[in-house]
Amino acid sequence: MNIESIWQAAVQQQVFRELVETFSRPGVVRDLTQWIGNATAHRAVLATLMDGEATLADPHGSIAAPDWRLLQAQRGAPETARYVAIDGSRTPDFRPALGRLESPEFGATLLIEIIAIGSGLLSLDLAGPGIDGQRELRLEGLHTDWLLHRADWVSGFPLGVDLLLCDATCIVALPRTTRIAIS
Amino acid sequence: MNVTAHTTAGNAYTFGFLDEYAKKEVRRAVLKAIAIPGYQVPYASREMPMGRGFGTGGLQLTLSLIGPDEVIKVIDQGSDDSVNAVNLRQFIEMMCPGVSTTTKTAECTLIQSRHRIPERPLTAAQIIVLQVPYPDPLVVVEPSEDKRKTMHGEADYSRLLVKLYEDLVTFDEITLSHRYPTRINGHYIIDPSPIPRWDVPKLNDSAALILLGAGREKKIYAVPPHTQATPLAFNDVPFRVEDFRDAAGRRRACARCGCMNSFLDEFVSDSGDKTYQCSDSDWCDEQLLQIERLRRKSA
Repeated sequence: MNIESIWQAAVQQQVFRELVETFSRPGVVRDLTQWIGNATAHRAVLATLMDGEATLADPHGSIAAPDWRLLQAQRGAPETARYVAIDGSRTPDFRPALGRLESPEFGATLLIEIIAIGSGLLSLDLAGPGIDGQRELRLEGLHTDWLLHRADWVSGFPLGVDLLLCDATCIVALPRTTRIAIS
Repeated sequence: MNVTAHTTAGNAYTFGFLDEYAKKEVRRAVLKAIAIPGYQVPYASREMPMGRGFGTGGLQLTLSLIGPDEVIKVIDQGSDDSVNAVNLRQFIEMMCPGVSTTTKTAECTLIQSRHRIPERPLTAAQIIVLQVPYPDPLVVVEPSEDKRKTMHGEADYSRLLVKLYEDLVTFDEITLSHRYPTRINGHYIIDPSPIPRWDVPKLNDSAALILLGAGREKKIYAVPPHTQATPLAFNDVPFRVEDFRDAAGRRRACARCGCMNSFLDEFVSDSGDKTYQCSDSDWCDEQLLQIERLRRKSA
């Protein structure tokens, strides 16, 4: 049987290390091409993080039915799920879980698919933990309302949401501690 | 040997000992720990084939991070050769075929450490995992975990400051020699594991990611790179590290390599004499090598 690489443990370990890198250094773009074959970065990240313990919401219907079976994740509502798969070109029409003061880890991770990371018209200046001074990030295909809503959602640290943006092959993280200015 | 070959060779264990579900849970906790610097993320710490308290928290982090191309260094109190380090290294070698081990800080990609951060500054290409016995600095002032979680969320550390103040009143100085409470990114205060005060400044603006794992207490937390880490202190009583001065006020040197800017261990001989030696054995070896090189050059 030929198992797609993203479902294999060795590839998931490599994808996880790329996730660690991008969460540790927000704004640093990590290219997953060498690990994931023809799969998209979005599917590779989901395959790496999901199992029967995780709740996943798919408000924009971006996850194919066969993938749901392999991900094993519990389907949740976007307002309560720990992970939410999002089409970045759409406008936000829900408020994700922000966690509780005692348990901020319940704040959702938003996995947002966009057209391009590292190039594009949207230019962000980033600062905060993981960034030595400032870092610039260019994006294409992210509706700016996500950033405006995010600013509101992360305003009461430690509550907030963590964003992971994906294009076809690359990922970049914007955790709740990152200060973002649209330039 | 790669992972596939390892599996087909009939080994009963998966690469990294932990099953993939356990790894995924640790991995999700690690990412949240990095996203919320200093916050102790709870996780379902698995039973390991060694007693809790022997570094099982650090080990679960290491086994969830490690890949076949890893170069890993395992240290215990700065030494590559003490019991805890040797046993954990052997276990990792056994369960992760293909990984390389080293004693050289400069060569490794992943470090698992009990109670020290190496003297050589870590790089952005490295991750250090610290083994933590007691993750919560508030446990000395508040027995209820529920209340401690609220205090952490509100960044209410007044009772911890009172504890330090009581030290000053009784002893004229803060008596914590290790596990020094340190505020991360201006909010959460962490127990940075029993590293000496000497290592606390290395948490601040570190180039490497620092992960901390408490197996018995089932917590994972992190200090991301380039993040502010400030030891708790008072305006008029600043934080200070061990100074290793003798009675005459001279800085003691390592008896082996002569280094005068490293953290020293004290050894008492049978006759009662005290000698001092670098705690970081790789650092000490490096200093000796440098001295040897200089000697050869001048000869």
